[in-house]
Amino acid sequence: MKPPNAKVTLDLVASKVMTDWAHPSNLLCCRVDPTGKYVVAGAIDHTIQRWEIANGKKTTMAGHQNWVRALGFSPDGKTLYSGAYDGRLLFWETGAENPKPVREIPAHRGWLRGLAVSGDGQLVATCGNDRLVRVWSARDGRLLRELQGHPDIAYCVHFVPGSHELVSGDIVGNIHHWKADGTERARVFEIKEIFFHIGDLAPFGGIINLGFSQDGRTLVASGLHKVSNAPGGNRRPVAVPIDWSTGEKRPKYESLKKDLDATMWRALHHPAGPLIGVMGKEVGFWNPGTPDVTHMTPTPSEIFDCDLHPNQIDLFTAHHDGHLRSIRIGRA
Amino acid sequence: MDGGNYRPCGDIEHLLGRRQFMGDLLAGTGVVAGSSLLASAAGAGEIAGRGKSVVVVYLNGGISQFESWDPKPHLETGGPFKAIQTTVPGIHISELLPHTAKQMHRMALVRSLNTKQDDHGLANNLVRSGRMTQSATEYPELGAVVAKGLERADFPLPGHIATMPAGAGGRGNNAAYLGPRYGSVNVGAEKGGVVNARLPDGLTVTADQRRHDWRRFADRRFRGRVDSAEIDAYTQTYEQALRLMERQELFDITREPSRVQEAYGRSEFGKQLLLARRLVEQEVPFVEIQHGGWDFHHNNFEFHLHYVADFDRPFALFVEDLAQRGHLERTLLIVMTEFGRTPRINTGYGRDHYSRAWSIALGGCGIQHGAVIGKTDAKGVEVTDRQVDHRHLFHTYLQAVGIDSAGDFDIAGRKFPVADPAVGPIQELLA
Repeated sequence: MKPPNAKVTLDLVASKVMTDWAHPSNLLCCRVDPTGKYVVAGAIDHTIQRWEIANGKKTTMAGHQNWVRALGFSPDGKTLYSGAYDGRLLFWETGAENPKPVREIPAHRGWLRGLAVSGDGQLVATCGNDRLVRVWSARDGRLLRELQGHPDIAYCVHFVPGSHELVSGDIVGNIHHWKADGTERARVFEIKEIFFHIGDLAPFGGIINLGFSQDGRTLVASGLHKVSNAPGGNRRPVAVPIDWSTGEKRPKYESLKKDLDATMWRALHHPAGPLIGVMGKEVGFWNPGTPDVTHMTPTPSEIFDCDLHPNQIDLFTAHHDGHLRSIRIGRA
Repeated sequence: MDGGNYRPCGDIEHLLGRRQFMGDLLAGTGVVAGSSLLASAAGAGEIAGRGKSVVVVYLNGGISQFESWDPKPHLETGGPFKAIQTTVPGIHISELLPHTAKQMHRMALVRSLNTKQDDHGLANNLVRSGRMTQSATEYPELGAVVAKGLERADFPLPGHIATMPAGAGGRGNNAAYLGPRYGSVNVGAEKGGVVNARLPDGLTVTADQRRHDWRRFADRRFRGRVDSAEIDAYTQTYEQALRLMERQELFDITREPSRVQEAYGRSEFGKQLLLARRLVEQEVPFVEIQHGGWDFHHNNFEFHLHYVADFDRPFALFVEDLAQRGHLERTLLIVMTEFGRTPRINTGYGRDHYSRAWSIALGGCGIQHGAVIGKTDAKGVEVTDRQVDHRHLFHTYLQAVGIDSAGDFDIAGRKFPVADPAVGPIQELLA
């Protein structure tokens, strides 16, 4: 029986790369628009690349002045929001024939790292190297709230499902839960097992990404742990589930049978149940509550982000080799 | 025991030694008490007449030239950092170095190094010794050569000091044929600087002095029968250790005013720089500071974000402090590393070892301030102008402080070239 939110039956063993679209510059992030028409990816050549999923037609969206690190769509898919290491938040008309930014906001001092859009489409939240989380009006771009409290770089931000409350993660392993009015932090979770420090000089790891389960009961923080040589990149991918009501950590999701020197750049819950995580060149799948990976689908290049198509059977992945790929993980 | 002429008490050498001990101690205390950040500089004539110093800041592991001295913004090899203007019109360095950018009029850059060695150990040997060598002990390192070249007979401190973050002891085997007298002595920037420098409880100064008098006596007798460089080295090490003990206050940065300590910061690197400044004031010929762990095969940009910030502010303050105290004109500063990093950004967003086109910064004494030597192509892959290597740099360092790099060391009748005779200094870099 399919879970209530699932439209599909997964067939992980048969999962494989179905489409493979190339761009000459490394891709850092990707998102699928909620209507399922477009997939966009942020690149280190400062561009956003937009593909029409039906035919693979590629359009360049130029406007940023540094690596494009974060993307998000309005719920109706008509507006694309992008954030980059130039510190700016740009608004775009998603389907414009000759896309140009329709709004440009100097959002952060230093790199903008994370971006999220509220479920009702009214708010856009961003975070960055200035340790701030900022909340903007999606309608007119006004700064509505500025949330201070992260002791170091704020990596990622996410809206609590069905609300204007926020969670944000930082490079030193803290997750802050912010109330909707931004007047105070509701809770702080310390996930120190996915944070490592090189001497007194540099943090490594932290809360790379955050995501909620479909039922909103579990928050998952993804990143790295088991670091043996940080400058050499010797670490292991991990996701830490947290019971949203109690704040208690549950058993970690790892790759126990296969050693991977990798970071889990994103973990997301599929409506049919499994957790999906991208790590190294692999897409990993975990059954809920099972610490070791259930299945891994290999790809040709390191994956830095992923997003699920609304059809729930195509997972799009952004790769270091500049390719955007889709992996078919089930059937309707 | 043959009593010979050993007289543990009342010996004239003993008395002289004690007077010297007290004199040095008082002199040291006086200097410490007179220190303050950005204090009024000593008179120009007074400084000009003092011995020269070399300070090497060694960025162990290989800092990226793209994220420091030779940025290539907006190019696929350049990474995400911008370039910023410095105090020298036309010279831009990475935005990660905003404080050092304000000191660039006291510095110079070499952007055209091709050292053809991508192995950490071997590259470390060659940048330190100025030679193509497989062995760390075949040629003396820069510190040993400077210690010998700037040696003064009456100088009470080691000529070659390596600072460590914490208390440290021992000395480096880095003087090759020059002998251990010129090898590095390790001191720390914390816990009073020199470890094991205080007499054990229950051992008085007088009793300790007697022990050393006995040791000297025995050494002299043995040395009269056996001609051994090793014995000389042991003797010299003992005497040097005693001199360190006598002047240990010089190594104690907590004697600096608290505002000075605050200004240099609480980082290990800041503390080492403050110690280096104190040693430069004492005219120590060569001081090396380590700032370690720059080997970022992974996560290069995140790590440089933090590491360069840790370097930038204290280093810039150090340059400013030396300049304002009048010591920069007699002190050569070198920001050294063993190689650069690859233009290619690897799959872990790291950069790997790259010796074909990289950079260093240097400044102060004998250097043409504001100079930029050589250049690389647009993507930083190849040197396109004025290619040089570690051998040229070695000559240049020595010439900058007045050591004849074209000369020879005479070691027991054998001639050893001071630097590789196949090349010379970078003349346009010399003031």
